[in-house]
Amino acid sequence: MGDLIDGQLVSIAFIIFVLGLLYQGSQFFKLTRKKEWILPPLPGMEKRVSKTVVQYIIAGLASLKGTLWKTDPLMMIVTSVFHVCLILVPIFLLGHNILLDQSWGLSLWSLHESFTDGLTIAVLICVAFFMMRRLFLARVRAITSFYDYFVLLIAAGPFLTGFLAYHQWFDYHIVMILHILAGELMLITIPFTKLGHMLFFFLYRFLIGSEYSFTRGSRTW
Amino acid sequence: MSNQEIKPIDAEEIKEMLNRQKGKMKRYLSFCSHCSLCAESCFLYRAHNKDPQYMPSYKVIQSLGKLYKKRGKVDRRFLIEIKGIVWRNCVLCGRCYCPIGIHIPSMIAFTRGICRSQDVYPQPDEVSSESWL
Repeated sequence: MGDLIDGQLVSIAFIIFVLGLLYQGSQFFKLTRKKEWILPPLPGMEKRVSKTVVQYIIAGLASLKGTLWKTDPLMMIVTSVFHVCLILVPIFLLGHNILLDQSWGLSLWSLHESFTDGLTIAVLICVAFFMMRRLFLARVRAITSFYDYFVLLIAAGPFLTGFLAYHQWFDYHIVMILHILAGELMLITIPFTKLGHMLFFFLYRFLIGSEYSFTRGSRTW
Repeated sequence: MSNQEIKPIDAEEIKEMLNRQKGKMKRYLSFCSHCSLCAESCFLYRAHNKDPQYMPSYKVIQSLGKLYKKRGKVDRRFLIEIKGIVWRNCVLCGRCYCPIGIHIPSMIAFTRGICRSQDVYPQPDEVSSESWL
């Protein structure tokens, strides 16, 4: 049972994850095509004025004024921390890299264990924040269904069980199996549920003609 | 009596329209993370004392989202209900902003098209509790 979960199922989950993302990506480029016209460059983009580092920082901060950093700064801080930790923790976790080294003989560099433990707590705090938002903010509650809580649980699962496993709370063996299952569930669901915004956040930049675009939004559906 | 009450709903036509845009619209709908960060970008939401029903994502989920969920099998009452959402609650100014990059105006415009195909649209003599403008 254990062998199946941490052996074949991990490989299957990774294959579904990669193939799912490739499928979604290829479908996106199949369904969209190049626009016949290209947006003219935004004013000020043609000539590049050399700036000092300080000027860059000031200009960068000033440009945040017209964004969500101004309208909802708390949410933006929480969501940024959440997403950065969500990517960093599993990739640079010591335990994961040791497993990778044992099975494939290669590994990435690892962050200190107490640091990744702190980042895991940060993820869980962010999840609690999102949950509170869904429960108590009228505008979020208006568009929240059971499915949204379920997806939040899928995202939080590997971190909650990983935290419990690291601290060896409850039965280590069972928690570890739950951790592996939670990770596999997350990988499998990413391409096909709303967690797919991991990929589409970047793909949609090909459609947007603004400063947040790739290739000046030169594609259209 | 206006023709809005006479013509029967052609569910097949709605289904066909929905299927034609499925690749785009279903992806837009299913990758919306329901974060509500689009709310502040809608001037109607701000003008109506932050009433959630004016939130861009709410308008799309309640109109186009439901149309896809029901696979186009809807009655006239439903279309008249979403008429209020896509015409009165949204003026299609195109200023709504989604951090993920979902193009909300195209979804509202598409829903308007579906309503219009079934002769559901605002009438000049319509009696409404509030102005359509």
